[in-house]
Amino acid sequence: MKVAIIAANGGMFDAYKVFNIATAAAATDAEVGIFFTFEGLNLIHKEAHKNLPMPAGAEHFQEGFQKANVPPVHELVSMANEMGVKMIACQMTMDVMNLEKEHFIEGIDVGGAVTFLTFAKDADVTLTF
Amino acid sequence: MDVTVNRVLDAKGLACPMPIVKTKKEMTNLDPGKVMEIQATDKGSTADIKAWADSTGNQYLGTVEDGDTLKHYLRKATAEEEKPEKSHPHVVNLEDLQKEIEGNEKITILDVREPAEYAFGHIPGAVNIPLGELEKRFEELNKDDHLHIICRTGSRSDLAAQNLTEKGFQNIKNVVPGMKEWTGSVDKSH
Repeated sequence: MKVAIIAANGGMFDAYKVFNIATAAAATDAEVGIFFTFEGLNLIHKEAHKNLPMPAGAEHFQEGFQKANVPPVHELVSMANEMGVKMIACQMTMDVMNLEKEHFIEGIDVGGAVTFLTFAKDADVTLTF
Repeated sequence: MDVTVNRVLDAKGLACPMPIVKTKKEMTNLDPGKVMEIQATDKGSTADIKAWADSTGNQYLGTVEDGDTLKHYLRKATAEEEKPEKSHPHVVNLEDLQKEIEGNEKITILDVREPAEYAFGHIPGAVNIPLGELEKRFEELNKDDHLHIICRTGSRSDLAAQNLTEKGFQNIKNVVPGMKEWTGSVDKSH
């Protein structure tokens, strides 16, 4: 199985949607690639991914996350990394936002739209979050 | 139900996808053919573990509820199991086995799967000696019996049939394919 994901949003909920699917797929022997673009870059930004915003009005769910013993985002990110999930940061968005590769966590690649499309062209599952 | 396992994974209190991620990690360390118990409290884990086993080619045996804990049982697949080669010359299909069970001549069914697989469903009256223990336990069997050996797919039972033939057993049949497609009556107690 091959899973291609586009992460285009940078909130706490978005991080869980992306990394839960990605790690579950990797644990099921899938080849997984995530393309991070626009606000999605927050999810792999060295500082930002440790303190992602909750959606407005949903701040009270913070407690629910702890109660359900959901792992923090940075743990899911390093798990995804360990399991060989391919993470690609979008070069164009990085240029727009004035970001460099060293602003991001270890183990990511930087690429353009075609890098993602080449990976995704024979994917069994394609998701956008 | 008491189930014999080779490894226990404690995933209690963990939320999705952690039970699956941990299962994957533990399975890598498990020897092929062995059975693992995964203890979880995540209610979604039953469907997830089942689907995970399907996708990865491992065998989902079943789930037992123990208070708030769900105990899932998985058996790691072996590479040989998927190969169709059988070499014991005498085989019997499931339909004929059913007829022989109903017939007058007494037959003995030897189930060579792991005890955990046996516990989740076996043919009533079948004797359980896992393939791995056959070498030291074959004397529990009677050489003159009409022995029908069964496993899940017909591959472990084939090895058992060859092994017992070498030891001088005469009336041995390998049941194909095996419990995987058995639709007759099943005993889930042991």
